[in-house]
Amino acid sequence: MGMSTTAAPRPQLTLDELHHLKWVLGSLLTLVGLGAVFYLEVEAWTLTGVTAACTIATMLRPGLPARVPGFVHTLAFPLIVGFFIADVWRRGEVLPAIVRLDILLLLYRNITYRQRRDDLQLIVLGLFIIIVAGVLSVSPTFAVQLLVFAACALALLLVVTLADSLAGPAARAPLAPGAMPAWAKRADVAHLIGRLRAVLDWRVLVLGTVLFGGVVAVSALLFLAIPRFQLENSMFLERFIAKKAKTGFSDSIRFGDVTEIQQDTSIALSVDVSDHKHIPASPYWRMIVLDSYEGGVFRMSSRLKQRELMPERSGTTAGGAVRPRRGEAVYWTFYLESGVSRFLPLVGPFQTISFHEAQHFRVAPRLAMVALREEPVTMTAYRVEDFDLSGTVPDLRFAENWRARTEGAPPREEHQVALPLTAAEHAVVERAVAEATGGARPEAGEFARLAGEWLRRQHAYSLAPQIPAGEGDALVRWLASRGSGHCELFAGSLVLMAREAGFPARIVTGFRGGSWNGYSNNFTIRNSDAHAWTEIFDERSGAWLRADPLGSGASAADEVRGEAAVASRLDRSWKARLDSLRMLWYRRIVSFDQQAQAEALQAVKDVARSSGREVRERLEAVVAAIKGWLAAPWGWTRGLGVAGVVALAGAAVWLLGRFGPGLWRRLALRRGVRGEDPVRREAGRWLGRLGQAEPAPEHAEVRADLLRLRFGARASWAKPEAVFRRARQTVRTARPRGRVTRS
Amino acid sequence: MSDFVPAAQISEAAQRLNRLRANMRVSIRGKDEVIDQVLVCLVAGGHLLIEDLPGVGKTTLAYSLARSMDCAFSRVQFTSDLLPGDVTGVAIYDETLKEFVFKKGPVFAHIVLADEINRATPKTQSALLEVMDRARVTVDGESHAVGSPFMVFATQNPVDFEGTFPLPESQMDRFLMRLRMGYPQPEDEREILRTAHGGYDAIALNPVVTRSEILALQALVPQVFVEDSVLEFILRIVTATRTDTEFRAGVSVRAGVALRTAAQARALLLNRDFVLPEDVVELVAPVFSHRLGLARQSSDALEERRAVTAALKRIVAAIPPPA
Repeated sequence: MGMSTTAAPRPQLTLDELHHLKWVLGSLLTLVGLGAVFYLEVEAWTLTGVTAACTIATMLRPGLPARVPGFVHTLAFPLIVGFFIADVWRRGEVLPAIVRLDILLLLYRNITYRQRRDDLQLIVLGLFIIIVAGVLSVSPTFAVQLLVFAACALALLLVVTLADSLAGPAARAPLAPGAMPAWAKRADVAHLIGRLRAVLDWRVLVLGTVLFGGVVAVSALLFLAIPRFQLENSMFLERFIAKKAKTGFSDSIRFGDVTEIQQDTSIALSVDVSDHKHIPASPYWRMIVLDSYEGGVFRMSSRLKQRELMPERSGTTAGGAVRPRRGEAVYWTFYLESGVSRFLPLVGPFQTISFHEAQHFRVAPRLAMVALREEPVTMTAYRVEDFDLSGTVPDLRFAENWRARTEGAPPREEHQVALPLTAAEHAVVERAVAEATGGARPEAGEFARLAGEWLRRQHAYSLAPQIPAGEGDALVRWLASRGSGHCELFAGSLVLMAREAGFPARIVTGFRGGSWNGYSNNFTIRNSDAHAWTEIFDERSGAWLRADPLGSGASAADEVRGEAAVASRLDRSWKARLDSLRMLWYRRIVSFDQQAQAEALQAVKDVARSSGREVRERLEAVVAAIKGWLAAPWGWTRGLGVAGVVALAGAAVWLLGRFGPGLWRRLALRRGVRGEDPVRREAGRWLGRLGQAEPAPEHAEVRADLLRLRFGARASWAKPEAVFRRARQTVRTARPRGRVTRS
Repeated sequence: MSDFVPAAQISEAAQRLNRLRANMRVSIRGKDEVIDQVLVCLVAGGHLLIEDLPGVGKTTLAYSLARSMDCAFSRVQFTSDLLPGDVTGVAIYDETLKEFVFKKGPVFAHIVLADEINRATPKTQSALLEVMDRARVTVDGESHAVGSPFMVFATQNPVDFEGTFPLPESQMDRFLMRLRMGYPQPEDEREILRTAHGGYDAIALNPVVTRSEILALQALVPQVFVEDSVLEFILRIVTATRTDTEFRAGVSVRAGVALRTAAQARALLLNRDFVLPEDVVELVAPVFSHRLGLARQSSDALEERRAVTAALKRIVAAIPPPA
């Protein structure tokens, strides 16, 4: 029974604890992965919920998987494969089916005990969801999620490796179904956390954090430096997901559609403005022109589509109706969220529109409309240059046609004038017109103002419209009543009245207003800002005038603009701060030229260079000051002063050396959180280090002293500082265990 | 701290034990580990259960210990017809004195070898076990102290159970340790073949320590320092035997105390005034294994012993020692 020299080593996790830690990390990884599903427009809410619940349950109670009946394991893979095939066959969408398959596999991996192979599979499964969600949503949370996931995955891999090296190859035998591994029987999360705290050395933690931070920083620099590639396009992911529109915007809307959008306060559009001067107080973001009214539905007539929408093109730029002008280009950059519409919001007629990525699109320059072929499933960025903010849309061709009607030819623009109503309904509208105008025949602009005022007098604004029941046209019924209504009813009624009075009129839908984010300095337009208004044709100017019966009443030309307009819409709320992150992310990933990227790189370089220069300058200044001080004339008083200071400093150093360690120990002796004596803990640490060294006879004495500090009675201790000092020297000169040196 | 023992006292104690050990090694060959454990048991003031086949040196071991420290040695062969009085002694009527005189039994010695203890009836067994516990014999209301130091070496044969009365677990708890001698290594056995003659009476050993020195050693054991984390370690091992499903029941509180005392004794033996976790680890099996039974009882006693030891080893390996 010779005294073996295995002194108490540093505490280490046992194999069981490593297995438990591995299990918990795997569960966390799964949860992070599942979190990404929320950003995907995939119908998997139930599945995700069940998987999350099971994962949390098995994380907290690792004994649970042993209770899963055996047939589940036997049937799991055939069932999962069957589910996948049925899913693809039934819904015909590949990517959502793959995502659901992924979630299902995650579920299965979390209700069974995992081997090494399964842990690696878990990482791949989680990574897949996160990448897909990140690519499709292009949101800043993607970066955060990826970071958290990477940290989790690295930790998991480390633990897997540790457990493997500890267990050896023999332990890889598969577990019988229904059996509980030994670690799960004794697993207790609170105990594990306690052990982790005991085992983790703060130095290791700091080192790990610094390394991870370094990797992230290098990745960020690489991200800045490499030319952007279009991630979403290069992966063709969007082809696989048929995204449903969140809103009701389409080229034919029924009453009620727009109001549904108004309940949704998520961001629809963010706009970067190059020049604050031009910002109107209440901007209108036009999307679709609806000219035909038939059977209670406003829609974009096929005639208008045929005539105005130019053939589909592919590419990144297109011209509009506005002629190029001199002076500095004004451009606004739009970031349209996915699922809003395939019609792009614009502020008015424009000179050019350019896309961040090549698109298939059709332009209608005279309508100031741009339609993509399909509704985008990712964020779409486009930049519009030199646009008309006056609120009018000039249309010379329409003006020409409209004037031609007086020469007796059949009206060529009947779709923007037609009013297919019964005689009785016509009478109702006519009466409304007469009441509004008082029998006069004003110009288009004046008519719009009078009619708008009349409508506001007759009807109150409400999101819950009161349309009287009855036969015939719903809009006319509402017009005749005094019930409240929403923007669409107002706009529609104004169109009816204008057409009754002989003015061409149409509905335009889009957004109105929005808030100005005070952090990222951009417009934020939410889905709840959706609006419908009217455009009425003014024959004199040959242009369509914006007429919003719910607007301020001031004409677009009289509105305040610029900084005052910004101030009126300023939003510096907490939510705006979050939104600003999204904007910063968009600005980073979307670049219309390499300028911004180069600027960012240059900025990083400048900061590095200037801080280096600053340090050098300070050092030089200090050296110069010392030199100057030394060169100054020496006298008695000065010499004495210096000698006094030197003596004081020496005394301080001596005192510190004499009493410092004792003082430090007395301070440190206050028992820590773990209730351990710091000297004992320190001794344990040195014993661990000495244990890793090749045993040598000269270690015996130091080891005995350390053992006494660690386990002996305090009264029998030698001076701890001296023992630790010798331990340090011994460990430094010792050879690591197991290394063969040639001599 | 006042319970700090001067280093000189400790090293003196270790020297005495070293002398004892060296002396015993002369007659017991190749069994250094067993000798160390016997010494631990002696210093801790416990009793020993030796379980092995006949003829592997159990008696020699007990006898040479007794001789080495100048102590009275007695040997009782337990049989089924042995009566309690045969062990403890009886009061007989003295014609000349006209009164009952207590005639001391073989238990009145310092080292008592109770050979094949499981062959006696439970009544006789418990008479001995009571003496072991209290170090006194009470006959006719009169109490007689047995020797001091007092140590019982009980032996039993793990293979031959025919006609035996196995000791109940509660009685097992009174033994500090259970040891196995095992066969010696071939070279040791060759040496034994060359030199051994006659019975244990032929063993000629000079005493190297006195009885009072042994008593002083025993008094020193409780002063050996046990740090809190080591106590915690012992506690966790004890608790683990109670929660492990492999055992019928966990060890008693007495067992935990026994482990601590044995660890203190081992520290003293190794010239230390404080206990290390390795002291505990080394002694878990000898101190605990005879107090534990498997939940699934095995028909083969040796098999069961092995399973218990393996389970204990697993439990200890799973508990991280304090560092």
